[in-house]
Amino acid sequence: MKRRMLLFGTLLVIAGLLLSSCAPAATPAPTAAPATEAAPTATPAPAQAEPTATPAQPAAQVTDEWGVVVIPAGKTIKIGLAGPLTGDYANFGIDISRGAELALEEHPEVKGFKVEFVTQDTQGSPEQGAAVANKFASDPQMVGIVGHIFSGETEASIPIYEKAGIVMVSPSATNPTLTELGSKVFNRVAFTDKMQGEFAAKYIYEKLGVRKVVTMHDGGAYGQGLAGVMAEAFKALGGEVLGTQAITPGETDYSAPLAAVAALGPELIYFGGYDTDAAVLVSQMESAGLKGVIFFGCDGTYGENYLKLAGKAAEGTYSTYVPIPESEAFEKFRARYKERYGDEQGKLSPFSPHGHDAMAIILAALEKVAVVQADGSLAIPRKALADAVRATKDFPGLTGTITCSEVGECAAASIQFMVVKDGKWVVAE
Amino acid sequence: MNVAAESSKLRTARVKERKVSLGLLLRLGIGLLVLAFFAYRFYGVLARQAYGAETWARLAISGLIIGSVYAVIALGYTLVYGILFMINFAHGEVMMIGAFAGYFVLEAFAASGFSARQPVLAILITFLAGMTVSMLVGISLERIAYRPLRGAPRLVPLISAIGASIFLQNAAQLMFGSMRRTYSNPPALERNVGWVLDIAGKPVSITYTGVLTFAFSVVLMIGLYLLVQRTRLGRAMRAVAENKEAAALMGVDVDRVIANTFAISGVLAGAAGVMWGLHNGIIYHYVGFIPGLKAFTAAVLGGIGNIPGAMLGGIVLGIAESLAPAVLDMPFQLKDVLAFAVLVLVLIFRPTGILGEVLAEEKV
Repeated sequence: MKRRMLLFGTLLVIAGLLLSSCAPAATPAPTAAPATEAAPTATPAPAQAEPTATPAQPAAQVTDEWGVVVIPAGKTIKIGLAGPLTGDYANFGIDISRGAELALEEHPEVKGFKVEFVTQDTQGSPEQGAAVANKFASDPQMVGIVGHIFSGETEASIPIYEKAGIVMVSPSATNPTLTELGSKVFNRVAFTDKMQGEFAAKYIYEKLGVRKVVTMHDGGAYGQGLAGVMAEAFKALGGEVLGTQAITPGETDYSAPLAAVAALGPELIYFGGYDTDAAVLVSQMESAGLKGVIFFGCDGTYGENYLKLAGKAAEGTYSTYVPIPESEAFEKFRARYKERYGDEQGKLSPFSPHGHDAMAIILAALEKVAVVQADGSLAIPRKALADAVRATKDFPGLTGTITCSEVGECAAASIQFMVVKDGKWVVAE
Repeated sequence: MNVAAESSKLRTARVKERKVSLGLLLRLGIGLLVLAFFAYRFYGVLARQAYGAETWARLAISGLIIGSVYAVIALGYTLVYGILFMINFAHGEVMMIGAFAGYFVLEAFAASGFSARQPVLAILITFLAGMTVSMLVGISLERIAYRPLRGAPRLVPLISAIGASIFLQNAAQLMFGSMRRTYSNPPALERNVGWVLDIAGKPVSITYTGVLTFAFSVVLMIGLYLLVQRTRLGRAMRAVAENKEAAALMGVDVDRVIANTFAISGVLAGAAGVMWGLHNGIIYHYVGFIPGLKAFTAAVLGGIGNIPGAMLGGIVLGIAESLAPAVLDMPFQLKDVLAFAVLVLVLIFRPTGILGEVLAEEKV
């Protein structure tokens, strides 16, 4: 009996460990349903009709292949945001939702109907991302999503929104494969990891003159994808990738994996992952035998948080940053951000302008396709909305002039490499 | 008639025997297969000469340090289990609270310049603060979550412990926020700085914080051993572990002994929390959970209820965790899986753990 108790306890521990190790990491790709024409049309029909189920209402004049959202007079249009709002990576979600909120303040109504911004916490995990997506998809007033924020959760949620016919614009999901799924609803204003990885490989090979690298990542869709792209590109340039090492995100001691990396003798470590893990890595590199080896992060490791956590060890480490071009609108945005939230824009994450633009694109597309009907209700055809977002052209956003490609790549910005000098991020030569 | 019954009894006994040996064979077979696989992978690593002596040294040092922290936490599990036969799943959270207490004290010292002037005193006070706060948390846990359930079936306090663990985690998140915080070590005890050895022509550093962690863990383990074996309180604890009713009849205040046990395990957890902060640097509300699970595993590995077993289990687990991925040429992301594989292997061959359980009473 006692032994059985122990066994139970052990099982409990193993289950707990499995659960916890899954939390921030990405799970393998949920079999991405290729968007067949039939799939989207089937389900949304019953989902959209409910709020208007007033008996006298004739069939809406607006028709759409994926169904029409009808907002009765006096009700609000809903736009959702799903991302990490609590937990380790909360700074990304909070920052992006602030950006989106500011965009909504500039444009609070569509054809006289108020737009409501609904945020939901996923803690950045694919499991919770899918749960939130299901919740959003069952809300008949939900027309568009700013998000999701991390690549893993985005990957898990695309099939759900695809089925419901809800358009998405992600400010920060950068995994290259996301736009290769053939999704009709998914778009992003984020700079993809493919571009980032290739640029980084070129910079490391040509500007830093490094020939031997080891890639490390946190096993997530974002980190692993980025490290893979970089390794490919670096090999193509003629460099040598000595090996790759995966770590468990969220830990505070990486001395063992670093010692294994040190045995390979790299000149540089390229890391795909987020700031908190990167900070632990850089502070333990020297004692693990990696003195003088360059640490090269990515746009997930850029920010003030990294500097604060890594302290002196951050000196001389690199990251990537997608700069926002200086403009009058951006100047104003920064001032409003500071006034509204008390923080300096860019302190939490570099993505608040992307959050702003994602929201602004959805609102502009809504403005184009929404129709006020005879009974005073607002009709929003779902497919027309998704197509309008995809057709965005020369849109003046904070991140630049935005034009979406036919697969939904809407990134306007270019890329910059940053290095820590005297405790501050400065542009690397 | 009688003879027939006898012979049938004999036959069933023989069948049982054969079954047992079959089960044993199966276990041995699986265990040997896994060992053979491990040996094959290890041979591959050695043949490639993937890692030099310096890498093995670095990995072993890293494992020894983390293992000593696991050992100190595991002692808390084992003490409570030895006396109450209950697994205190909130123990990792007690450690986390201790880490936070130490953090705030050290932060204040760093701001006032005290830790630069009097590093030894500052560290001592930090440890005292962490240990005191954790002790109080341990005592209140026992009072609030476990004592009212003393007579209940054994699963009930276990569930209560899991609840307490979640409560403490969320309370810490609400009180201190979810951001990570960095321990501000005194300049004399800078993290990742230490003595540098020369192994195979490569530098292998032994950090000051690592040495402090290891040395203090050993001191705590010896102290605990002496306390249990040589003092009045220790004798009372052993008596309660042996038989609660008999101990009460002999004039031992059982409730007080149990409260004291929780206080001691809290002190150990607090010390582990401060060591964790000083050595690893980063703490947050979730920092106690995984080490808590690992330490529980270590306690089972060594033989739960057995104090030297917990120490041994902690060190073995720490070393397994940092060496196994390199030995088997696997990514370090799998280190938890490998650590548990070691646990399963040990339990296959020794179901009561490496040193075995020290149990006088037959527990239900």
